[in-house]
Amino acid sequence: MGEYSLLIILFAPFLGAIALMFVPREEALLVRMTAAISAGISLMASFYIFLAYDTAKGGFQFVQRYAWSEELGIAFYLGVDGIGGPLVFASAILLFAGIFVSWHIKDRTKEFYMFLLILAAATIGVFMSLDLFFLYFFYEMSVLPMYLLLGVWGSHTKGYLSMTNPEERKLRDSIGFIFNFGSNSKEYAAMKLTLFLSAGAVVALMGILLIYHLSGLHTFDIVVLREQAHFSDNVATLIWFLIFFGFASIAPIWPLHSWSPVGHAAAPAATSMLHAGVLMKLGHFSIIRVAFEILPDSTREWMWVAAVLCVFSIIYGGLVSYFAKDTKYVIGYSSSSHMGYIFLGMAALSYISLSGAVIYMFAHALATSMLFAMAGWVYDQTHSRDIPSLGGLVEKMPFIAGAFIVACMASIGMPGTINFIAEVMIIVGSWDAYPFQVVVAVLGIVLTLAYMFKMMRGLFYGRLDPEYAHATDARHWVDRMPLLLLIVCSITLGIFPGHFYEVVRSTVEPMVDRINQVAPLITQNTQGLLP
Amino acid sequence: MIFQLDLSVADLLLLLPEIFLTLWLCLLLSLDFSLKRMTHQQLAYLSIAGLAVTGLILLGFDQAGTTGALFKNMFVLDRMGIFFKLIIVGATALVLFMSIDYVKDFRFFRGEYYVMVVMSALGMMFMASSNDLLSVFVTLEFSTFGFYVLVAYLRDDQRSSEAGLKFFILGVFAAGLLAYGISLVYGETGTLIFSEMTGTPGSYGLAIGYILIFAALGFKIGAVPFHAWIPDTYQGAPTPVTAFLSIAPKAAALAILIRMFYVSLASFKPMWVLLFVVASIFSMTYGNIVAIAQKNIKRLLAYSGIAQIGNIMIGLAAGTKQGSDAIMFFLLTYLFANLGAFAVIIAVSRVMKSDEIEDYNGLNRRSPFLAASMLLFLLSLAGVPPLAGFIGKIYLFIAAIKEELYTLLIVGLINIVISMYYYLIVVKKMYINEPTDSSPILASMPIKVAVYVGIAGTVLLGVYPGPFIDWAVSASLMFSNIAGPTAAASLLPGG
Repeated sequence: MGEYSLLIILFAPFLGAIALMFVPREEALLVRMTAAISAGISLMASFYIFLAYDTAKGGFQFVQRYAWSEELGIAFYLGVDGIGGPLVFASAILLFAGIFVSWHIKDRTKEFYMFLLILAAATIGVFMSLDLFFLYFFYEMSVLPMYLLLGVWGSHTKGYLSMTNPEERKLRDSIGFIFNFGSNSKEYAAMKLTLFLSAGAVVALMGILLIYHLSGLHTFDIVVLREQAHFSDNVATLIWFLIFFGFASIAPIWPLHSWSPVGHAAAPAATSMLHAGVLMKLGHFSIIRVAFEILPDSTREWMWVAAVLCVFSIIYGGLVSYFAKDTKYVIGYSSSSHMGYIFLGMAALSYISLSGAVIYMFAHALATSMLFAMAGWVYDQTHSRDIPSLGGLVEKMPFIAGAFIVACMASIGMPGTINFIAEVMIIVGSWDAYPFQVVVAVLGIVLTLAYMFKMMRGLFYGRLDPEYAHATDARHWVDRMPLLLLIVCSITLGIFPGHFYEVVRSTVEPMVDRINQVAPLITQNTQGLLP
Repeated sequence: MIFQLDLSVADLLLLLPEIFLTLWLCLLLSLDFSLKRMTHQQLAYLSIAGLAVTGLILLGFDQAGTTGALFKNMFVLDRMGIFFKLIIVGATALVLFMSIDYVKDFRFFRGEYYVMVVMSALGMMFMASSNDLLSVFVTLEFSTFGFYVLVAYLRDDQRSSEAGLKFFILGVFAAGLLAYGISLVYGETGTLIFSEMTGTPGSYGLAIGYILIFAALGFKIGAVPFHAWIPDTYQGAPTPVTAFLSIAPKAAALAILIRMFYVSLASFKPMWVLLFVVASIFSMTYGNIVAIAQKNIKRLLAYSGIAQIGNIMIGLAAGTKQGSDAIMFFLLTYLFANLGAFAVIIAVSRVMKSDEIEDYNGLNRRSPFLAASMLLFLLSLAGVPPLAGFIGKIYLFIAAIKEELYTLLIVGLINIVISMYYYLIVVKKMYINEPTDSSPILASMPIKVAVYVGIAGTVLLGVYPGPFIDWAVSASLMFSNIAGPTAAASLLPGG
């Protein structure tokens, strides 16, 4: 099955979605089992490629190529490298966990699982596409299910503003008002997300079409383009900016982030998990796959833009998280903030920092999806996400509280979790290039610590409101399993990161060498990195 | 010009699909008169059977490579003509399927309805083959007469009568422009046949003549600024007729536009590229922006149709063989998505008795099947992968970027985002809003056939477009010598 693993990973969820069409909607258990089985197949196959990736060989592996349209120069071309492979694995983990997290959804279960499977499969498709057309195809395909998942199964937020005492309304509220436009319905969130991402996508599409035409090759094949495409300086810069900002809007980099926390807050738990866990990484991944591979010179010249913007992401996201009172806003803005670290790691363009960025994508996917899963559980039990009104829930849900603490620790980057390794690599690797940003990033970690503790205290400790006396813990294995799966992955990889690091390194080293125009075999990066 | 008809039987073979359909039409009409026991459903299926046979003959021609010209080049049967005829025949058959339920509500003239539909289809098949200006005029009027009657078919409905009147007056006006344009062009060139006009020196008379002809054809396809009749006519006409209007006449008129501009005006390409760029930009932007404000689903699709024609004109603006291939492929995708959407509208409006977008509230709870198929069709129209419309749009964009039409491309891409908004508004009504009345909506068998065909086409063309793209490419091989990348781009603002 080896060489077909990518097809299995990609099509198992699609076929699951198609199979669901024929499952009668009254059979809720059968619907869930169908979804779980198709996700399980995908998970096992992606675990296989994660382990079987040949780190000595590097490059694109498990390659599948089928002609699709000669006329347009499109091939259905799949393959993973050391960056795509781990992310495919992360998507499959989150999909599998997400299906169990949303086990109790009663309303239109069948449609929910269909859209969830399509969303995850499309995300997986982006991570393994070696053809620009299909990269865009899956990218755009992942946006639309989000609209329905948010709009139908999401929840209205009481709103950032209404949760604050009007007398204490200070600067932070006006910031919140500007960026949320005062609206907090799930329809608004869904529409904003979809239009924002589509707008970003068409900007990127313009860049892709320019690559297609101006390279003179009239092909979408990334492998061919990276070897043969050459552009004049101005054109390359233009394309680079289209690609960067087109894809960075989903990442989301400041100031293009405003759709993301609103979307997180409105989304059902499983959708938030996939959204924060892997959907946002589509942006970083696509920038690496398109800009880093095809436009290495412009990347070297312009990547400092990301380093500048990531400062705002880190600080702004962190501050809003600290002051926000809605659990999902806290986690959502903390995700935006943490995306800044990935941009910093990418911008520094050294082996260590870029490897760190890739590992951080994976690590953040696990940590933040745990947080979202448990915020969803708390919301299901209490119908509240307002931190000040909650409290003392540790009495009612000890398991959730314990898992929540582990997730917070992972998010902060506690040693023992994979996040720690990633953060240290980003910080160490970026020091040479961007010392100021590294200082900001370290402060960002302190800020993360502050708001995570604040949220933990607000939710689980203190006085229990009698209104929430009926709240229960996750007792059934169905509810515990996804959280345990994520925790186990995070800690296992945190303690044994060897293979994971090798996988990433095998791809990152040649890529960084190519961008910095260093001849292979030089392991220390001494070239000037600043513009 | 002395006209000698020296036709052999072999020549007439080229006309076989049209001759067969004409005879079938007579049969339908006489059966309707003579057999009192014949229900209108049986008549409908009989019409569909006739169209199916016509389609098979056309497919046979396509396989056998039968091509040729008749009547001193007035009528030409080539693979491009066959392609467009198949689109027209397919659209007509689907329209008949969705008419069967609808016609039950007519009090009079049920049988004649099918005859009129098939007659219009026959006229449009001739349009797809017309190769000179005279036959353009005759066939265009032939096909439009059927539509004048069909649009006003709901005799007691004010809106339908109003729609018919508007359509008629503007249609006749367009016919006048067409005739005047033809006379000017004939005066300048001394010939009516497209292929003989190549190489005529440019002059004001020729330019004005062609602009008038473009206006008349622009009226048929509903391009801005000749779109004024579209919304009211679409809203007032019986819904199956609206569905028919939204695709078949556009396909036929596009066949003429491609033949005329690619063959007879090839030497003036830089000028007409500009014309199409401007028309395309205005159609897309106007259609999409005005569609946002619509409350009626048929009007929404009317404006979305104007925007889609703007998309199609991207291919004409490219002015290359790939441009025409992209148009042909896009029409195929549009056929399935648009007709499918109208089939769902018919099913819903039979229960709701109106066509407001509000009626779609909670459709997902009332009929998951109809809601899911409408979702697919709307997303295909919006151009979301993996559906057909996405591939169609990308194909057009690729044709445009190869000609370096950057301004057009940027406007087209922005319009994708704008159009996403109003299609999603309908999706929101169907999936997110709760229904006021939760009784299930059931679709009848013939409607389901149309919807299933629409779904199959929309998905198949989206995930496996290769053979269809190849078909479109091989169907227009005669344009392979049309100018490649030219100086046309330099005329464009920002190009």
